[in-house]
Amino acid sequence: MTRPDQPRPTAPAPFVPVQPTASQHPPAPPAAPDPRPPSVDTDPHPYFRVYSAGNFGEVAPQRLSPMSWSLVGDPMERGTRALARRLWGRPAWAEGGHYVFVGYFGCRPYHNLAAYCHLSASIPGLSPSDVTDAYFEGIDSPEEVTALRSGRARQWAGSAKLLGELRDVGPRLRSLEERVAELEWGLQAATTTDSPIALAGVLRDALPVLEDAWAAHILTTSGLVPVRALQRRVYGRLLRHGEEIAHWLTRPRELVWDRLHTAAATLDPYGPGDFLASSFYEVADGQAPWQDYAVRHKQVASGSGEAGMAAVDPAEALAGMVSPWRSRTVRALATAVGEMMAGREHSKSLAMRTLHVYRRLLPALATSLGGDADLWPYLTIREFTDLATRPGLVERARPRVEACRAALATPMPEHLDLSGDDGVIRPWLSRTPQGQRGVAPGIGVGTVMTPESEPPDEPVIIICSSADADIAPLLPFAEGVLSERGSDLSHIAILSREYGIPCVVGYPGAASLPAGTTVSINGSTGEVTILDAP
Amino acid sequence: MNVLILGGSGFLGAAVAQACERAGADVRVLSRSGRAPAGEGLRGDVRMPRLGLSAADAARVRQETTHVVLCFGSVSWTSGPGEVLETHSSGMRSALAFLRELPALRQAVHVSSLLALGRAEGRVTNRELYTGQRFRNWYEYGKYCAERLARDADDLPVGIVRFGPVLGPDPRGGRPDTRHGLPVAFPHLLAGYPVHLARRGDFPCWVTDVSSAAEIVLKALGTPIGRATWSWFDPALPTLADVFTEVCRPWGVVPKIVEAGPLGRFTRLLGERLGTPRELVDYTEPWFDLDVDVLKEIPEPWPVPDPDYLAATGRALRDGTRRRALA
Repeated sequence: MTRPDQPRPTAPAPFVPVQPTASQHPPAPPAAPDPRPPSVDTDPHPYFRVYSAGNFGEVAPQRLSPMSWSLVGDPMERGTRALARRLWGRPAWAEGGHYVFVGYFGCRPYHNLAAYCHLSASIPGLSPSDVTDAYFEGIDSPEEVTALRSGRARQWAGSAKLLGELRDVGPRLRSLEERVAELEWGLQAATTTDSPIALAGVLRDALPVLEDAWAAHILTTSGLVPVRALQRRVYGRLLRHGEEIAHWLTRPRELVWDRLHTAAATLDPYGPGDFLASSFYEVADGQAPWQDYAVRHKQVASGSGEAGMAAVDPAEALAGMVSPWRSRTVRALATAVGEMMAGREHSKSLAMRTLHVYRRLLPALATSLGGDADLWPYLTIREFTDLATRPGLVERARPRVEACRAALATPMPEHLDLSGDDGVIRPWLSRTPQGQRGVAPGIGVGTVMTPESEPPDEPVIIICSSADADIAPLLPFAEGVLSERGSDLSHIAILSREYGIPCVVGYPGAASLPAGTTVSINGSTGEVTILDAP
Repeated sequence: MNVLILGGSGFLGAAVAQACERAGADVRVLSRSGRAPAGEGLRGDVRMPRLGLSAADAARVRQETTHVVLCFGSVSWTSGPGEVLETHSSGMRSALAFLRELPALRQAVHVSSLLALGRAEGRVTNRELYTGQRFRNWYEYGKYCAERLARDADDLPVGIVRFGPVLGPDPRGGRPDTRHGLPVAFPHLLAGYPVHLARRGDFPCWVTDVSSAAEIVLKALGTPIGRATWSWFDPALPTLADVFTEVCRPWGVVPKIVEAGPLGRFTRLLGERLGTPRELVDYTEPWFDLDVDVLKEIPEPWPVPDPDYLAATGRALRDGTRRRALA
């Protein structure tokens, strides 16, 4: 019998090498040439074959370089597997040399929608729609593979363990932040002294930090769904209008982004906020063709945005409406969910800061590759780290260049259905249409404004195709946010809740509304009204 | 005087519109239905910018309006936060933004509620709004939010008039609405069911009649009130028990008001299980201690409430029922 915390015998393949090289298998006899065209795609899961870019697509670039994928997808996969292992033992479906929870097809990162929906079946009281509503824009979930469902006892035991893990997430994030800061200082010291050895030292130290940051992000992201479902259920029992009240009460107290944007204003190139000026996720955002896909982020100095005296907020107002123990329970749950939202944002910022360390580090170290310096985005981080001892690994990058070029020319659907098993990529079509949804309550009215433009004096509604913490500095001046993409627990929803402004997601064509249009959005019902078109 | 009444198709709004018309004002009534009990009806929505009016209507209203009455919003004591805050908070913001665009605006009056004081501690006057009180329901919180916004808009000539429950025959005619607020208790009592009230209801409930409330709003527009706050209630200070007794009198019914002393809370809970209206459960104890001298801040002469308005409410309930039965 194996313990859950034992190392797994099989790790997910960190990447699918397109061609075995001589340096990889020197003694092997010559093999027949592979007739398949070179590809950078990962192998799909044998059972769970519906993928969605929904959550990745919220703000991540449409396509990621192989290097970025190895810094994002691979640690995410490891983190999720480790979490599943700690909670539910070693479910057979979450093992194997293929990726389980993520996928990389046509250079586009995907989450395995079917696998995440299956995870929801491992938590009592949770349904797949809770997951799709929270992170996948409310699309239909794939059919459940009931044969793989875990037993009732294991489900409850896993839930108890999940709560235990979530309880410790605060100290864990604080200690992780110290490690990230040390990495940033290490990078500053190594760059200032121009020491390749010191840079290599940072490279060595960065990977465990990155993996821990993604693991913490996976934990907070996954844990938020059942805790929110629990909140709704408890509110439904204890309160009239429980659903509405949950909507109004759940607000993170203070997100990390304000602090980071303030730090960014110091323009310290090694400071904690420097990453905000770069693209999230893509570390090769200075290099073609990946720079075309990089999502640029805008920096705006934070304004005060202070009201005179804070009004009584709904959470305080509720205190007198219900008995003290109900009030305590309701507020405790709202605080817990708010704190977890803050934890989710904190962990994301730590992952992004660590990626930013790589963004600075990898080009500096790649100069040692000489003429092949431009190939580093086509290697994985493990290959890059091993280059010092196995220089031949750089050869793996060459066929990937062509493979990536072909992949980038192929349009990739938002949701993938690979269940055909014939190698054909089909889009996964949701049976129920996805409508616009309110994800942060309230009504906001104003003139539309894109995050790139300068904030006008009049009330504005920020419009975007997708958004993340980059628009945090604009939110104090905004009356609301209208986005084409997003879900109940997406970053923009959490940020809007922090600022107490309404947010509606899933509104097609939001980003292309002409300047000067006045819109009204209702973050409770998802209603959007175009009032004045120029 | 060119008066725009926001939410003028409601119970109090209709009375205000009729009072303004009687006083010779040009009246415009904005409501979601577009119906107007007096003057010109405009279809709109206070939650929208420009009050949801067409560009032509908005331009006309902007140009001509000199006085505004804000009496819109949900009056249900059992609404959830979404509905309440949409109208009382978002609606108020939008309405205030519109007021800032009125070049000829001389006076606006926000119709607030004494219930915004919630379970206020100590003696309260017109000065207090938030004294650390606890709100009984989202309606009280919504009225608090709306009044707070009106108080904060110090660039606008917005005065505040607070009323308690407003009773009397419906100025729009027909049977009074018993779906919201204090009137929810009337059918319950008239059907012979008991209600538990602390001190058998011997505490003031700050009611007034709809016609005197409308006169007060008219006075606030004409005096004008400026940025002050007035509170108005029937100076006779009928207790809650008086209100129930008088409303039931035309029906020949004596309301069953019970008090179980130390078991009060238990009785209330039991009563709720047995059908006591939820709206009333939170109001079975003295509401707050309002300084009755606040009336003196209203310039005299004061309007005189109809001496029989409580019984008239009961009669309207009865006659409305008869009319419906005949129809």
